[in-house]
Amino acid sequence: MFEERTGRPATGEASKGQRLERSGGGAAPPNAESSVLPASETAASEPPNRVPPAARALAVVLAGWLLPGLGHALLRMWGRALAIFLTVGFLVYLGAGMRGNVFEPGGDDAFARLGYIADAGTGSLYFLARTLEVEGSDVSHADGDYGTRFLATAGVLNLLAALHAYEAARGRKA
Amino acid sequence: MVPLHFSHFQALLLFALIISLAFGTLGRRKPIERVKYAAWSFAMFVLVGIALGWLMYPFSR
Repeated sequence: MFEERTGRPATGEASKGQRLERSGGGAAPPNAESSVLPASETAASEPPNRVPPAARALAVVLAGWLLPGLGHALLRMWGRALAIFLTVGFLVYLGAGMRGNVFEPGGDDAFARLGYIADAGTGSLYFLARTLEVEGSDVSHADGDYGTRFLATAGVLNLLAALHAYEAARGRKA
Repeated sequence: MVPLHFSHFQALLLFALIISLAFGTLGRRKPIERVKYAAWSFAMFVLVGIALGWLMYPFSR
């Protein structure tokens, strides 16, 4: 788990140890601070920032795409994570229930290819939609047509949420 | 899975409601601002949808 702003691990044994060392805990004498390691070595013993901000943001956006809301959950934005998961999940459920068209890769025309990109935006829920539609799509009725739009909207909304998580991970206003 | 059936207006309302909630959650930070933004977004979705429907009505037949 990442700490939202600093990028350091949320809990660290080393930081606890340093706090104990500073407070003179244990059997160490009160003036033990003067006998600790030099400042340069103390700084070197601090936990390094193992994950660069760019890589952290990339991991967040990838997680957010794969499972709606996971990117925000990694940033501890619990409310937004739950809202995104429920919203995208409900849209996928409704779209599949209305027998909307779940586009497959390698479409013949630009509309099918764009539709696939939009549907794939739901990440893992794309496969859930295909699993739920046991009878296949039916766009000969208005329900199926609306379902197609619901599924595409779910994907685009999830991509928007993943980008939002990316911005938040980079420390920008979000 | 049981097939779901909605009328055009029901689908419009459902779509507007879900998207407005997402927009409000993502677009604003304070709860009261989220509610206001979601309500405004929902109203605009529904009103613009109905207006566009009436604009297209003369060409439907």
